Amino acid sequence: MVLSRRNALRGAAGSVLLASASPIARAADKVYHLGITLPLTGADAEAAHLILHGAQLAIKLANQSGELGDIRLEPMILNNATATAGQYDPAQAATNARKLAGTRTVLANVGPEMSGSGKAMAPILSMASLATITPSSTAPDITSPTYAGEFDPGGKPIYFRTVTTDAYQGPNMANFYAEVLKAKSVYLLDDSGAYGVGLANAFEAQARKKGMKVLGRDRLDPKAADYSAVLTKIAATKPASLYYGGTMQAGVKLVKQSYQIIPHVIKGGGDGILSPEMMTAAGFPAAEGWYGTNASPHVVDDPKLANWVALYTKTYGVAPDDYAITAYDAALVAIAGIKAVQKAGKPLTAATVRDAIASVHVNGLQGPISFDKYGDMTSHIVAVFQFHQDKSAPLGDLNKQMRYVGVAPQH
Amino acid sequence: MTGTAVFLQQLVNGLSLGAMYALLALGFTLVYGILELINFAHFNVFMVGAFVGLIVLQSFGLQGQTVLLHGAPLVLALLASLAVTMLASGVLGVLIERYTLRPMRNVRGPMAMITTIGVSYILFNLVLLLTNAQALNYPDPMPSVDYHLGGVTIRLKAVIIWVVAAVLMWGLNLFVRRSRLGKAMRAVAQDAEAARMMGVEVDQVVMIAFFAGSALAGAAGMIFGLYYNFTQYSIGYTAGLRAFTAAVLGGIGNVPGAMVGGLLIGLIETIGSQYIAAKWADVIIFSILIFTLVFRPAGLLGAQSPNRS
Repeated sequence: MVLSRRNALRGAAGSVLLASASPIARAADKVYHLGITLPLTGADAEAAHLILHGAQLAIKLANQSGELGDIRLEPMILNNATATAGQYDPAQAATNARKLAGTRTVLANVGPEMSGSGKAMAPILSMASLATITPSSTAPDITSPTYAGEFDPGGKPIYFRTVTTDAYQGPNMANFYAEVLKAKSVYLLDDSGAYGVGLANAFEAQARKKGMKVLGRDRLDPKAADYSAVLTKIAATKPASLYYGGTMQAGVKLVKQSYQIIPHVIKGGGDGILSPEMMTAAGFPAAEGWYGTNASPHVVDDPKLANWVALYTKTYGVAPDDYAITAYDAALVAIAGIKAVQKAGKPLTAATVRDAIASVHVNGLQGPISFDKYGDMTSHIVAVFQFHQDKSAPLGDLNKQMRYVGVAPQH
Repeated sequence: MTGTAVFLQQLVNGLSLGAMYALLALGFTLVYGILELINFAHFNVFMVGAFVGLIVLQSFGLQGQTVLLHGAPLVLALLASLAVTMLASGVLGVLIERYTLRPMRNVRGPMAMITTIGVSYILFNLVLLLTNAQALNYPDPMPSVDYHLGGVTIRLKAVIIWVVAAVLMWGLNLFVRRSRLGKAMRAVAQDAEAARMMGVEVDQVVMIAFFAGSALAGAAGMIFGLYYNFTQYSIGYTAGLRAFTAAVLGGIGNVPGAMVGGLLIGLIETIGSQYIAAKWADVIIFSILIFTLVFRPAGLLGAQSPNRS
């Protein structure tokens, strides 16, 4: 057992007393909070809960192990979704960020899931010097020095990630198209959203560098239902491949209709399409063969993590995905920051924890984690998956209905 | 594909899209023609219709992406589903009229229109909450048959849409022009007070207009689901807005105008996407609308609205 300062003082009164008093001592521990902000209702709810449980598990294990000394860490869970939006809602994310910034016991935050929410939260958290560690939001703008005035007015990085960004997700996938799939030409589509446009832009720039012929670029209205016109136009250009930057709102219709109109073209997208809706709403055979990426290494099937996966599954009754792992890692980063402040003997505040997080080195489930001076991960691994129907498994089981292809080339 | 084949293919795409808009536009036009009311609830009656159709089809055992029935049983199951969906949507329209619009029939100003926006949002949010905002897969029971004509692909599904939409629109036109109730409808549209004095049950006529318009929206909803093979709480928004535009373009209150407007908007959308870009579709559609209305304020075939003397 690690002796905390308070327990060490009590140690003078004798170990018998200490042992019998430990439950009381626990109750008297100072309680601090780790925020968790995710879209827990609506369209994003399923994925958000996997992330939530990852962070919860890390907090639970840290409290149990006693590594935090005389403090107890509790999650402060806030919902980033609203019924009006039906999914994540940046306005709600901003409200939540204000609540976190206004609560003195909040030392750091895990989240958000979506970059749209991240853009709303970052300026508020920046002014409060409150660090947030996102397990899945990948828009490069939020941490880019170009947009620091907008997203980081406080001047010190507060937006840390345990995934890489679309600045790598898009280009690495372009490398995969060119080098592994040997696609000579590509047509690009996005869904008009910040995430989709940024991802497609990043892919396009690298595809050109790789000598792929970019046959065209168009934008889908995610609320429209009929993409047959744009797909007919694409079919006429005879592309070898199609790359889609966006989420499943437009994705469901694109996957279904592209199967009708351009069935033999290589098709892929980013982590926005690695969603159970790909199977439950778009469905097979339309989804068959689509490629997608995760902005993190694929470790959930790694035998080294079998015990962790079993513990997670037993505790929450659901199997984790890769972003549950990056969420666990995100909470580990926050906990490491807190421990570093404790070790340095500084007062525990959001600002001291933020400073500590900026220079931590954590051995996460996905491997070593550290951050560059903007808060981005120093490793840039992008995992590629391909949808392939497994009729023996439930249709909504993402882990079974797609297979891991490998790491996308990084140069 | 040659340039001509691409153009013809986009015409085919536009006709299917336009047929859907036209069916939806008819509901706007029927209600406007009689009450001079823009019924925004119509957007989401269409959406609810798609979900009702889904439930009805599933109750007939038509689930998933496999063809489970063939021949006459399939046709009968589809027709029965369409009838039940139209009935349910029609009843929903009647309930909306009876409980939210009739109490303010004689209130001047935009109150009734605002009420329809409220009803629309209630339907939208109810379905959003019930489905957890998820897109749902629609059964795909029709055999996947494609006809190839000189580089142009025409899907059996598209042909079925054209036929069903044409029959429904023709039926409605016949009903409005030839039947006693249709005559009563036109009489109420011209002058509700005079019609009442002649013994026309105005409340009943309005109710029938809501029933017919909503039933058509329900049919459009189910056809939408079968054609695009999915449904979601948000499908009413874009389709509804474009259908409303179609009704205005054709001449609001004018039944053939709604059909022409719907087809035109469908064609403009696909041809515009081909030769300009899909991202400009809305800009093109609404520019043409404004342009048309500047030169023909009553729409292409002329608006018909009640005389309010």
